[in-house]
Amino acid sequence: MTHPILRRLAAVPPAYWVFALLLLTLWIARPNMLNPNVLGIFVRQVVPLGILVLGQLLVMRVRSIDLSGGGVILLINYIITSRTFPEASGLTFIAMALAIGGTVGLLNGYMIAKRRVSAVIVTLAVSIILVGLVQFLSSGKPPGDVPKYMNEIFDIKYGPLPLPVLFWLGCTGLVWLVMQHSVYGRYVEAVGESAEAASFSGVPVERTVVMAHVLAGLIAAVAALVQTGSIAVGSVRVGLDLPILAVAATILGGVVFGRGEGGVWGPFFGVLSFALLFVVMTVFGIDEAGKLIAQGLIILMAAILYGARAKRG
Amino acid sequence: MIQWFKSGFSARRSRQGLWGVPLVIAVALVVILSLGTDQFATRENLFNLIAQAMPLLIAAVGQLFVILVGGLDLSVGSVISFSTAILSLDGPAIVLIPVVFLLAALVGLINGLVITRLNVHPIIATLAMQYVLLGITRILRPVSGGTVPDVVIAAVQGSVLGVPLPLFWGLIAVGLAAKILYGSRFGLHLFGIGGGIAAGMEDAASTYGIRVSRNIVLAYVACALFAALAGVFLAGRIVSGDPNVGLLFELDAITAAAIGGTQLSGGVGSLHGTVLGAIVLALLANGMNLANVSPFIQTAIKGGLLLAIVGLQSRKKMGL
Amino acid sequence: MSDGEPACLIEMQSISKAFGPSRVLRDVSLRLRPGSVHALMGENGAGKSTLMKILAGVHRCDEGRILKNGKPLHLPSPREALAAGISTVFQELSLLPNLTIAENMFLGRELLMRGGSLDRKRMRAETAAALAELDLKLDPDQLVSTLSIAERQFVEIAHGIKADASVLILDEPTAALNAADVEVLNRSIRRLRAEGRAIVYISHRMDEIFSICDEVTVLKDGQFVGTRAIADVTPDGLIAMMVGRELADLFPARSANLGKPVLELSGFRATPKASAFDLTLHQGEILGLAGLEGQGQQRIMRALIGRHAPAGGTLRLHGQALKFPSAAGGIRAMARRGLGFVPEDRKEEGLMLGLSVAANLVIGLHAEKPAFAPARSLKGVVQRMTDALRIKTASSATPVASLSGGSQQKVLLGRYLAREVKVLVIEEPTRGVDIGAKSEIYTLLRDFAQAGGAVLITSRETVELIGLCDRLAVVHGDTVVVELPAAEATEHSILAAALTAEGVAA
Repeated sequence: MTHPILRRLAAVPPAYWVFALLLLTLWIARPNMLNPNVLGIFVRQVVPLGILVLGQLLVMRVRSIDLSGGGVILLINYIITSRTFPEASGLTFIAMALAIGGTVGLLNGYMIAKRRVSAVIVTLAVSIILVGLVQFLSSGKPPGDVPKYMNEIFDIKYGPLPLPVLFWLGCTGLVWLVMQHSVYGRYVEAVGESAEAASFSGVPVERTVVMAHVLAGLIAAVAALVQTGSIAVGSVRVGLDLPILAVAATILGGVVFGRGEGGVWGPFFGVLSFALLFVVMTVFGIDEAGKLIAQGLIILMAAILYGARAKRG
Repeated sequence: MIQWFKSGFSARRSRQGLWGVPLVIAVALVVILSLGTDQFATRENLFNLIAQAMPLLIAAVGQLFVILVGGLDLSVGSVISFSTAILSLDGPAIVLIPVVFLLAALVGLINGLVITRLNVHPIIATLAMQYVLLGITRILRPVSGGTVPDVVIAAVQGSVLGVPLPLFWGLIAVGLAAKILYGSRFGLHLFGIGGGIAAGMEDAASTYGIRVSRNIVLAYVACALFAALAGVFLAGRIVSGDPNVGLLFELDAITAAAIGGTQLSGGVGSLHGTVLGAIVLALLANGMNLANVSPFIQTAIKGGLLLAIVGLQSRKKMGL
Repeated sequence: MSDGEPACLIEMQSISKAFGPSRVLRDVSLRLRPGSVHALMGENGAGKSTLMKILAGVHRCDEGRILKNGKPLHLPSPREALAAGISTVFQELSLLPNLTIAENMFLGRELLMRGGSLDRKRMRAETAAALAELDLKLDPDQLVSTLSIAERQFVEIAHGIKADASVLILDEPTAALNAADVEVLNRSIRRLRAEGRAIVYISHRMDEIFSICDEVTVLKDGQFVGTRAIADVTPDGLIAMMVGRELADLFPARSANLGKPVLELSGFRATPKASAFDLTLHQGEILGLAGLEGQGQQRIMRALIGRHAPAGGTLRLHGQALKFPSAAGGIRAMARRGLGFVPEDRKEEGLMLGLSVAANLVIGLHAEKPAFAPARSLKGVVQRMTDALRIKTASSATPVASLSGGSQQKVLLGRYLAREVKVLVIEEPTRGVDIGAKSEIYTLLRDFAQAGGAVLITSRETVELIGLCDRLAVVHGDTVVVELPAAEATEHSILAAALTAEGVAA
């Protein structure tokens, strides 16, 4: 790790390596899978994850974490599919979703930044509350159908490019813009590097962290809408593993607590890696259990890579 | 004695945390439930309550070890499921039981080494471990089934001289933990390391010549071993292996420790507080069952309780 | 050092140590003889603490070796140092707050009963005995978090003595102690010397050095100056060895004319027990808070940005009466009013070490803007600051962590200068900075004052305060005991002022 070129290579977020490796595997094992239509469908599946990651990377940049996204997705999914509000239009659903996401984010942010409670505990507890609430409301039974128009929007394609994928790209671009070119991006960078130094520089540290959580909540709401569009029938289990996957993809993308060499596009490729991983595992006939193990190992590998680098740095 | 009792309500005077709070809640719950329902104070229900409380109590005691050094173990639930799966394999008890504990120790060792040597955050490391173990468990036992050695079943179910057997499990686990935490150098060092971390003096313990990394690794090993004990107990109760039996157990264990006054930043907490925390959770579940509260909303209430309890603990550090 | 003296117990030979780009120790040697008290002296930042931390196994030296009784010692961690019989009382308190006195006392070397479990009874009894030797009446079962600073200091000393080590390092053990406490400590030190131990004694107080020590080694800027028998030196001679450079050259000329009052504190009480005082900072002035370490200078400074809640008093800035700022938005509120606060701990509180020079310079300017405003790159500001402050860096994109201490400190100052503040409140303007950069920073601060600014500083280096400031306010016991023109002040007169106040207070 002493040679400058080696060091430069080691600084590339692991997501790019994993992505390239999986692509190569697929190209050798099943070259026929590598056509835009097939890949488009697989990539479309991970769009909710990809959107959720944008919020996760934001909070992880300020040394926090958000595991409540699963609960938010579940609740919004339930509200839309249970027909609790039969008259509601698409816009109303969007407004309700954003209100839920924003409120949850505000609660998370308040508890974490002002009350200084462990972010893991807060967001996990919030998630448990939301999941329990949905299971209580639905008595554990699947709610109902997703409105047709949501599925239709989800299915729109421009050539080989599905609309959800384009939407994901757009969202990622927007977050990139905020992180790269707004004062808020500088705040996030400073707080992540050292909250104490940021505070002495005049950065509103607590407000920055609260805002990160509110944004993450709003982003989770958007992810929930896309997720709902991707399924035909509501479910009481939908999206529960997404927050953990989002943490994994973010770390894979080179963003860890407080450090953000991977920017916004590292985690983007982290999510793409997961998409390819699902393809590869399907191709090789690996079942649910194998997927769990693989996910765990990937989280671990990415974390170890960064842990080792942080120690050296 | 009175002095000691008072310390349970004062955060400043001791490092045992606010264990007086769960004591008051537990007593209040017992009073309310005995007066409010006919079924609570029956022999049957109390036996049931003890058996229900025990695995959580054992797991929470394990969790206490890692929380004391400012860590967390999210793999506890998966270790429990994994243990029941191993026990439900074909084989003699004399082999299966030691294998469960050996593998658990290995899990704890890996957790600890990854955290201390490879500098990975405990939450990430144990989360990854949770995934891997869940996967392995699903391979061993995709759905609940199989049979558990008779010894285990016999040791969990039934009673001796009118005392339910599960109570002995709890007593042994707590007695062992008390010996380690309060009677050994290792236990004292755990408090010292955690106190240093919580006060922002990460190096303090090592300047006294304490082997910080090694002790932290051992804390994770202890946590996994207690989780395995809880798993063996649960296997005896459900008489089979179940890949989902440990689901969310780690959170209940953390909640129990937190209700018991253990501070997640490290260095402050007590065994009796943690036991009281587990009893409060068990009483709540038992009471809600007796009152026919939907099991789904019970989950939400537990989450709310955890949020409220940790919300009352202030600490310096912001974030994870 | 050459005649037939007793053999060395510990010999540190040609020790060198660097932290990143800054070299803290260069070719330093130290010989400790059994049954003697060895003073280690030098200005702050001379490398005394680093040298002792190497001997205690906390840091590892880059070059050089350590011998005990002529045999090489390998000290990769404090554990090995303790095993080799080297016990340390560190300057920073390192007792664990959540353990009892007895537990702290025996931490790492607990007494065990035959079954391997802790022998709490014996540890308690021995702790009580050790405390009694130091005239302390404390309950061994008391948590350290409930002790006062002086009590903690004593427990720390008791811990060091209790280690039964052949070498005892005392790094400024008397900083928190009063005169009577010091006498108690000296008694213990004499007893340990009589038992044949080697004691290293770090202190700034001359009277202590001359009353208790046998030999003295002086360090300056990380280099060895010399070792003398105490009988062979005078206090003035020692100061000359420690300072040994022409101070006048380092400091710019003082300003002649002062302007209007800029910052006024009146009836200010830092803590409920402290007596009230008034303090005024004028335009064009550099005012220093002097005194012994930890006498409340920091509390007074930090009250100005809400990091310490004062017990009473009023604050006026530019003639306008203000409430004392709150902890939440104090720094931002004061910066908006043109007061910049430069914290003492550059690495923890000051700089975002992993971020670039540019990011560190302009973050203060960004902090004035609403969160979702576009962030301008402010290249002009960065260029201007890098040039004006002569920050030595390969590019403005270089992480600030890789700069020298002096350049880092300039970046930190530049952040506040870029905001064009009118008042600078600076804790330790040149801590861990080499001589050249020190002189540049002094000039910079003087220029800032000449241009109509006002500066309030504290420093552990009294020489720096005397040379740089126009006026000094001596702080003792959380209050200003005397104000005097810096031109007339000497290290001695400041110390005398502080200690006289102590006599009055006691």
